[in-house]
Parts: sequence; C-alpha cells; structure tokens
Amino acid sequence: MTWVLVRKLLRDIRVPLLVVALLLTAFLCLWAKVTERVLGELAPFFNGVAALGGFGQRDIEHIVFNGPGKIMRTVIGGDNIRTDRAMDMISIAYVHPLVQTIFCIWAVGRASGAIAGEIDRGTMELLLSQPLARTRVLLAHLWVDVLSIPLLCLSVWVGTCVGAWLITPIEVRFPEDPRFALLRTLPMDPSKLEIHPLRFLTAIPVMAGLIFAVSGFTMALSAAGRFRWRVLGLAVFLVLLQFLVNLIGQMWEFASPLRPLTIFYYYQPQQAILNNHWLVDFSVWNGGKPLVEVPMVLVLFTIGAVGYLAAWITFVRRDLPAPL
Amino acid sequence: MGPLLRTENLTKSYGSFCALDNLTLSLEPGEVFGLLGPNGSGKTTALRLLMGFLRPTSGGAWIKEHDCWHDGVRARQHVAYLPGELRLYENMSGRQLIAFLCDVRGQTLAENLDDLAGRFDIDLELPIAQMSSGMKRKVALLQVLIPHTPLVIMDEPTNTLDPNMRDELLQQVRQARRRGQAVLFSSHVLTEVEQVCDRVGILQRGKLVHVQTMSSLREGRLVRAHFNHPADRLPPLPGLRVLSHVDNELTMEYLGDLPPLLHWLADQPLRELRLEPLGLTSIYHRYHGVQP
Repeated sequence: MTWVLVRKLLRDIRVPLLVVALLLTAFLCLWAKVTERVLGELAPFFNGVAALGGFGQRDIEHIVFNGPGKIMRTVIGGDNIRTDRAMDMISIAYVHPLVQTIFCIWAVGRASGAIAGEIDRGTMELLLSQPLARTRVLLAHLWVDVLSIPLLCLSVWVGTCVGAWLITPIEVRFPEDPRFALLRTLPMDPSKLEIHPLRFLTAIPVMAGLIFAVSGFTMALSAAGRFRWRVLGLAVFLVLLQFLVNLIGQMWEFASPLRPLTIFYYYQPQQAILNNHWLVDFSVWNGGKPLVEVPMVLVLFTIGAVGYLAAWITFVRRDLPAPL
Repeated sequence: MGPLLRTENLTKSYGSFCALDNLTLSLEPGEVFGLLGPNGSGKTTALRLLMGFLRPTSGGAWIKEHDCWHDGVRARQHVAYLPGELRLYENMSGRQLIAFLCDVRGQTLAENLDDLAGRFDIDLELPIAQMSSGMKRKVALLQVLIPHTPLVIMDEPTNTLDPNMRDELLQQVRQARRRGQAVLFSSHVLTEVEQVCDRVGILQRGKLVHVQTMSSLREGRLVRAHFNHPADRLPPLPGLRVLSHVDNELTMEYLGDLPPLLHWLADQPLRELRLEPLGLTSIYHRYHGVQP
C-alpha cells in the first residue's frame, strides 16, 4: 500500500525532479568552464605577475579577500581553498549559494507540500478516507526522499564528471602581448590542474544529508500546519536564518559560537572531497581549541530523522481540518 | 453480531465550543440513515469523527467493532466516504484517480466501472482539472460506489448534482441497500432524505434531538382544518399533536387511526380540511425554524 502511494508521489514530482537535476548538472558544467578560465588564464597571469614582483599567491588573495572581500572567501569555502588548484575550484560549486539554494528549495518545497499542502488542497481527506494509516503516508514521503535525494546528488556529480570531461586537459594560456613573455618562463605545477571526478563522490552523502535535514525539519512543520504557504514561509525563514548565522559566524568571531546551531555548519563537502575529512569539531565553543568531534553526515541525517519523528508524532495525533 | 456502526456519547469540543455533544446511535447492515440539521449542527463533525479525521474529545465510535480513531485503518476498510468539500487530484484523469484509490484499498478496478460511468455520464479519460464541479462530484461518487463496502458515508452527496444525477444517486443508494450495504448520509434536502432513508436523525447545535423511523412517519398525517367559528376542545387521541392553532385554523400531526379524528371533525363547523402525508418537514421544523 505504501508503494502505491510512493509511485503516485514519484509521478507527481517526476517533472520538477528532472528539471532540478538537469539544472544542477548544467550548473556544475558551467562551473567547470569557470574553473577552466580561472586556472587556464586568470590564475597563471596573476600568480605570474605576483611572482615577478616578488609576491606569492597568498599575498594577492589577502588583498582580494580582505575587508568586504572576506564574504567571498567565506562563500567559496574558507581559508584553505586554493583558487589555483582545479580540485579546489570545482569543489567550490558544491558549497556555492546557488547549489545550496536549489537543495533547500527542493527540500522545503516538497516537504511543505507533503502534509500541509495536501491538507490545504483538501486531498488529504480523500487519501485518508481510504484504509490507509497516517504512518504510511509519512513513510511514503520518507521513501520519496530516500529515492529522490540521491538522484539530485548524483546529478551534481554527473555535472562534475561532464564538466571535467569538457575542460580537461586544462591548457594554460598567457596573453599574446610580448610584454608578458616572461610569464611563460615561470615554473608551473601541472598536478594543480588535474581533476579526479571520483573523489567528488565523497560529497554525495554530505549533500544528501543537507537535503534530508532540511526536508526533515520542514516535514515536522508541515505535519503540524494547515496551510502550505504558511509552512513554506516559516521553513524558508528558518533556513535563511541558519544560512546567514553560519555565514556571519565565519566572518566575525563574535558570532561564531552560533554556527554549530545551524545545519549549514555540518555541510562541509569540501572537507570530504579534498581532505577525506568527515568530522566537524566544536572548537568555536572552546576558544579555537579542539573540543569533541562528530561526523557531519551523521549529524545531518540525525536532524532529518528527528524531523521525521516529530512529524510522525504530530501527524498521527492531530485532527484533520476540513478543507476551506 | 453487533451493529455495523455504533457511537456512544461521541463528543467533539473545541475549547468551550461543543461541535458534537454525546451522539449515540447505531446502524444496521442494509439500513439507510440520514443526518439532518442546518449548517453548524454537527453533521459533518459526526461524519469526520467516524472517518477518523478527528479525535473524539470523549465517547467513541466503532465500525464493525473497530474503533474509528484508534483502529481507524481497519474501520475504514469497511467504509467508502464521499466528503462534503470535494477535492480531487487535479493532475489525474478520472480513471487514474479511481484506479489509484482502488490500489490504495488493495482492490482491482471494478469491471462495471465503465457501465457505472456511462450511467453517470462521465468521461473517465478527461483530466480532472478540466472537469466541472458536478463532473468531479460524479467521479467521487464512483469511487464511493465501486468498492461495495459494508458502509457508505456521504456528506451532502447531492451537492452540485443536477436533478437527473440526483435521482440516479438516490437509485444507487437504494441498490446499495438491496445489496446489504448500509448508507449514512447528511443532507439539507428533506425530500431526498424522505425518499431513501429508513431512519433519520436530527441534529441541533451538536445534539441528536430526534431519531425518526421513516416507516412510522409514513403512517402519520398532517391535518389542516379551517373552521367557520371556534371548534370544540380536541379529543385526547393518542398520536395527536397540535402544531399551531391560529384563529380558526388548526394544524395537527396525527399518527393514530383516522376514524376517531374524522368523527370528531365531522361534528365541528368545518369549512376546509386538508390531509397530507406527514413528511419530514414538520418533524424537522419542530426543531429548526417555522412550523408548517
């Protein structure tokens, strides 16, 4: 019986799911082209000019990312991300606000429509007038998450693979102007231009965790709500608030203790891709010294599971209001 | 074997407002029961409690001895429900919707679906989004009639149906009764309730104030007598109830044998006499609104 409902729900979301998946794939391909331009032209030029002037890349980054530019540094993933390395550059797409926004819109949109949306439309009454337990309705939505979220994450990875295939090998090009001829003589490290698409697979559980966490807590709101737009508004507000708190916490020290209270603190796919590091610590609560470390994926999936549990507790006990 | 449907002191309150107050009734297989009452009298609340949409504040309801709230899935296995405020999945066609609901119920699509669709004049291939409200109601009616559940619950089923379709629906209710299905439905339209119901319950501000067996009602008469000058005092006949006595015009409800009443009337200065079957109207208006 649950599968009948799962099939119906998948049928309902198949077009938007396909569109979102294609959008993510397309964005990753586009990002690969951005990476090609940065690594093939901009980075060699600026690094070369800096080297000739006796500066390092870090000096340029310090100038670019200082002051208001710090927000850019935060958005691309922090101090450890090197803009002259292909793997680092591609990994930026995984934390790009557009990708995170798409993930969150998907999760919030679907989960808010799952219970509150059906009640709002009045179709929940039709559904629950059949011999169908409310638990099964929620279980069907959980299955839809289990089936659709990996697809979205895979579409990001497929975009990475296609993008990497399109741009590799990355050719370094200097301006034709003879004034820059000296740049060509500077040593280059070809390993920085290598892309290993398989390593990006490690980001899939982290991305899935983020979507599931947002879906879970939105589902809890949805199970208690009556109007889809009200649930949607509240969920978007909470997601946005957490995103901003996490962003501000990275830029200004005084706000950093608030970061672990947001789901985005546990969304660190670059750590998984570049360093195979899966743990987050709570050093922000201990003056920068290491505190306890927890697996970020576990935290994200726990948030999602707790959200679903709260949704279940609420939904099986609540009255089903008549459609307006 | 117990009744098909049973409620005991079923109550639903919202804060200090009592939407349904101690409803106690039962329904046997093959019985058609009509719930009557104006808006806000608790009809829909009662039906929604039976469907397990609402949690009773106190009391309980059982369908085939399955508690409608705690064991709702098993209770609803025996029920097909037509909601009052109808909403269907707009992205499906009529056939897809009925097939989906049959799947959820664990049943195969009925062979007589097309036959029944033809009788209701529905194009099942049409997307529901393109259907009129009447058409949607017919599709919803199909999904109620097809599973042949022991109990059919309908909340104002004839809303938005044209007169022909209303007759067809009432015909289907009679057929359901013949098959041994029980039907519980709410309505504002007294005439249709009169046509098909075996019993009716009248709700007033959440309370079941009267249960009327239609067979006994059909034996009763509404008597209107107009006298030339004041009549004698009415005889103490069993089953006689005065509804109104204005000037020389007397309106009565009479459930007893006619001869004693006619005998008394013959001795009065009678100018005009009308005898009508005692319809639900007079009973209904006893609790709601004007006297006939």
